[in-house]
Amino acid sequence: MIWIVMIICGLLTFATRFVMFSDIAPKALPRWLQDALGFVPVAVLTAIIVPAVIIAPDGGLEFAANARLPAALIAVTMALLTRSVVITIGTGLAALWVLDWLVY
Amino acid sequence: MTVPNRRTEFWTGVRQELPLQLGVVPFGLVFGVLGLASGLSPLQTILLSSVLFGGASQVVFAQLWGGGVPAPIVGASVSVINLRHALYSASMAPYLRTLPLRWRIPLAYLLTDEAYAVSINRFTNEPAGPYQHYHLLGTGLTLWVCWQIATITGVVFGATIPDSWSLGFAIPLTFIAIVAPAIRRRADVVACLTAGTLSIVGQPLPWKSWIILSAVGGILAGWAVHIHDSRRPGQ
Repeated sequence: MIWIVMIICGLLTFATRFVMFSDIAPKALPRWLQDALGFVPVAVLTAIIVPAVIIAPDGGLEFAANARLPAALIAVTMALLTRSVVITIGTGLAALWVLDWLVY
Repeated sequence: MTVPNRRTEFWTGVRQELPLQLGVVPFGLVFGVLGLASGLSPLQTILLSSVLFGGASQVVFAQLWGGGVPAPIVGASVSVINLRHALYSASMAPYLRTLPLRWRIPLAYLLTDEAYAVSINRFTNEPAGPYQHYHLLGTGLTLWVCWQIATITGVVFGATIPDSWSLGFAIPLTFIAIVAPAIRRRADVVACLTAGTLSIVGQPLPWKSWIILSAVGGILAGWAVHIHDSRRPGQ
């Protein structure tokens, strides 16, 4: 079963990449669709980031004793300042280790 | 000036893609670890990296499938996440549409965020050449090879990495590195806040459908603000 679902997901993903390469595709996407699709990365990735940072393993919200929250805020700051993926991941992980060890 | 040949185009793509692997390889390693932790088999985790070949959607696939979510919801979630590729496809199409299918199919398969970002830069800023598609082949294959090696390494050695390293946190950190600098307009802020709020409020919903809810909600909210703002120039 999982293999069928994997292959279907793979085909759907391929379709989104191939769609405008096909012979029957229009020359360009309509403006409104381009505008709407432009919000996909921000919306999708934020929807993955936020629960990963503030949902505890037991499913509840976690603010007080949660080192991931300040570590994520430090990572956001570094991402805005440096625009570097490596520095953002490195600082975020280091912040989490230090905070876990020092405070929480 | 000489026209770059196949080899020059290909190796330029490879060389320009390599620095991005500093972010890609840790993500691939973590995905390998996370796939197993979500309950996928080693083979399923490794093959997901070539069948889907899209980091964010692979993470979500593994978490949803491992969480017993029904197949249609898994498919819909993966599709929403990967919708952005249609934009890359549209933006690349003018440079590739005249190629035969035996080129367009593999190049579409290799069209990921990181390969697109590097190759579109070559297509738009360098003079057009008869072999420019070899550039995308170079960036795409570099990313593909690194992604597969990283996934396999994560699957093989993942069990030896202690939990206290919190390597899973590298996944939201990777996405923070992509999202934070991309927020420029008021509409981006609204899309981000809406998606973030819905992803928490929607947690009690069945089948982890908060992923689709918050993604679609964020897209619609951002788009609505964008329409509103573009009707009032100067805002």
